[in-house]
Amino acid sequence: MTTNTTSERFTVPIGPQHPALKEPGAFRFNVDGEIVTSATVRLGYAHRGIEKLAENQNWVQNIYLFERTCGICSHTHATTYCLGVEKLAGVEVSPRVSAIRTLVAELERIHSHLLWLGVSAHEAGFDTLFMFGWRDRETVMDLLEMISGNRVNYSVNILGGVKVDVTPEIVEQILAGVDLLEERTKHYLDVVSTDAGFLQRTRGVGVMTREQAEALGAVGPTARASGVARDLRVDAPYLSYSDFPVQMILDDRGDLEARFVVRLRELFESYRLLRELVTHMPEGELATRMPRRIKAGETVSRLEAPRGDVFYFIQSNGSDKPARVHVRTPTVCNMTSVVKLALGHQLADVPLILAGIDPCFSCNDR
Amino acid sequence: MNTVTTIAALLLFPSGLILLLSGLAFEWADRKLLAQYQNRLGPRWFQPLADVVKLLAKEEVVPEGVNRTLFIALPIAGLAGALTAALYTPLFGLQPAYSFRGDLIVTLYLLSLLTLCMGLAGSNTLDRFSLVGATRTLTQLFSYEAPFMLALLGPAVAAGSWQISEIADYSSAGRYLLLTQPLGFLVAIVGLMGKLELPPFDAPEAETEIVAGALTEYSGRGLALFRLGKGVELVVGLTLVAAFYMGGVANPLLWLVKTLILLLVMVALQALFTRLRIDQTVGLWWRYGALLVLVQWLIMVLVGLL
Amino acid sequence: MDTTEALALAKEVAGAWTWETELVEPEENRLDIHLKNAGDLAAAATEIQANRLGYLAAITGIDLGAEAGELEALYHFCQAGAVITLRIRLPRENPVVATLTGIIPGAEPFERELSEMFGVTVEGLRAPNHLYLPEDWPDEVFPQRKDFDPAVLDGEAERSV
Repeated sequence: MTTNTTSERFTVPIGPQHPALKEPGAFRFNVDGEIVTSATVRLGYAHRGIEKLAENQNWVQNIYLFERTCGICSHTHATTYCLGVEKLAGVEVSPRVSAIRTLVAELERIHSHLLWLGVSAHEAGFDTLFMFGWRDRETVMDLLEMISGNRVNYSVNILGGVKVDVTPEIVEQILAGVDLLEERTKHYLDVVSTDAGFLQRTRGVGVMTREQAEALGAVGPTARASGVARDLRVDAPYLSYSDFPVQMILDDRGDLEARFVVRLRELFESYRLLRELVTHMPEGELATRMPRRIKAGETVSRLEAPRGDVFYFIQSNGSDKPARVHVRTPTVCNMTSVVKLALGHQLADVPLILAGIDPCFSCNDR
Repeated sequence: MNTVTTIAALLLFPSGLILLLSGLAFEWADRKLLAQYQNRLGPRWFQPLADVVKLLAKEEVVPEGVNRTLFIALPIAGLAGALTAALYTPLFGLQPAYSFRGDLIVTLYLLSLLTLCMGLAGSNTLDRFSLVGATRTLTQLFSYEAPFMLALLGPAVAAGSWQISEIADYSSAGRYLLLTQPLGFLVAIVGLMGKLELPPFDAPEAETEIVAGALTEYSGRGLALFRLGKGVELVVGLTLVAAFYMGGVANPLLWLVKTLILLLVMVALQALFTRLRIDQTVGLWWRYGALLVLVQWLIMVLVGLL
Repeated sequence: MDTTEALALAKEVAGAWTWETELVEPEENRLDIHLKNAGDLAAAATEIQANRLGYLAAITGIDLGAEAGELEALYHFCQAGAVITLRIRLPRENPVVATLTGIIPGAEPFERELSEMFGVTVEGLRAPNHLYLPEDWPDEVFPQRKDFDPAVLDGEAERSV
């Protein structure tokens, strides 16, 4: 490791191994005292070559591959892939399948945002919020375990349908769980907006204006916190979102506080949607037959993951293996903004700025 | 001074081994109480002891490019400072082992010796995290030291002495200075948290920013000694504040009860707040900390004059 | 603007271009604009941005195979549900394309991925070092080309622990 002992600046490495990072990524910040003067990022520590691997496996095996692109948005990846392949094959799934996929997607969003709340609070040094948030995250993980058998990486999708069904007992538990979570989320929103110590660390920190967000191509709650109105569930409803619409949550401040507020308020929308969805579950069969070889063609499949929009470009040449699958995950778009935003801030703000975009390095690196 | 009792005092009681074990016990109490506040279980009673035993058994890695003598000596000096400071405080509710006029100032500086050793240990290495951590440790030392010292001198002025045993006796005579000098008490508690680098003043060892701050390169014996030093500092600090402000620690039971109550309050403050950035810590202390303690002194002077 | 408006505007704008293009609508929410001349890319992208026809969502690289001798790069712009794609063909032997980071700063990670995975030289790209591939990856080996043979890495495996 080279050391740089120039008196004005030296390089503080955050990563690839660092307590601030839950996954590996190498950031190098040149600091002058405590102020960051320049920053670089090096990714690829979790690069597994998933896109290339997909070309050697058949369409069904690839579901299990894409699910594992990420742990916390695994359902989104699998669903995007399945929707794309079903479109290519010209197969229509029943409304019940879409509803169950939407249900799990929203539960995943709740899981992801609660996890993020805890992790960001930990980065700020507010361990009490971290512990409380993760205690409540257990509720949503129990719900997901009840539905799918797994607490993380639920794997409910198959080509043409879903593997699990939602019974009345599950519906009852979901309603009870959502009630509890809503009450707790109200409390967290209150804490995040009014706790003086926390606001000192988040208000006015890491501000990204609307123009910057649009220029850097930010997506997801990070962009919505800067006033950029992009949410695929509203702009181009997929799955059951046309029957059960959600409202877009925007905030125009663009600082860390706004990012917290946007994600927490999105949770309320998810709770409302879940209640409506489970009480008005459409009927239908759980799986439709899919051909082994998918017709030749290309398709673009996009879904709103908890971190932003996921973009899949799937090309088939008529065989039982895909010709090309290109995955663009939301964190790739948001990562450039971290490097730009960190400049001029104190070193202590950097982990929070990084956590503020909700980075998922596994998604990033594929 | 009897040599045997001197050595016994230094090695066993009240300083030395018993004090080290008390330090570990208080550390456990701190962690367990914090866990209860955060709705989780917390460690079992022997966890800090197990940590220290494990660390002592591990290899001490001396990184490249450091001054080897300093690297090995600094933890020892820090722990020695904390243990020596304990000799002058009314630990366990008993009279201090040694006492002389002006020993309050000496004790405070011996306590700061540990922080200074940590700062030096951090500067000794080439590691970025240690350097930033050392800078923060020393910056924090400059911020809370003055208000904290003034807050402890408030009772000294009231008792008319700078000798810890006399101030403790003065408070034991039923004088609850936390009621008559509330601002000073507040600054003393919060100052103690700053000294011990407890959240929200744990910027010097902010895990999510600079790994472990000044102690990042330490492992094995050196780290164990620093941790023991911190435990001792906790006990000594609690004893001082309890003895001065909470009506003295006339006997072991009172000592235990009062220090634990104080610990409870400190742990509540730990759980409630977000970590402050180092510039916010400095700003807080030099603005509000110093202001409060000066107002307290002003009140004391005015009341004294009247 | 919503999906249908975006698609309509895109067709209008692209139809008015003087460069050689071919407009294809492969799906109801997509418009593919095949640019015959790869050099028109920057100008086309500028026009799309100027008409607010979406943000650059992804840059996909496709290797059309050794027989075809070409690579294809797809620049996807998304507005609401519409996906407007600029498609260019590049020769496999020496694929060169101009960078879009002057117009769209957010294009950087996508272009770096394109360059390291497919071997496309993106002119004007600042700091074109590896983003995803490790430092000791052999030069001139592009993993997402069809002729990539993992055996090439076996010699490297012993070096890196």
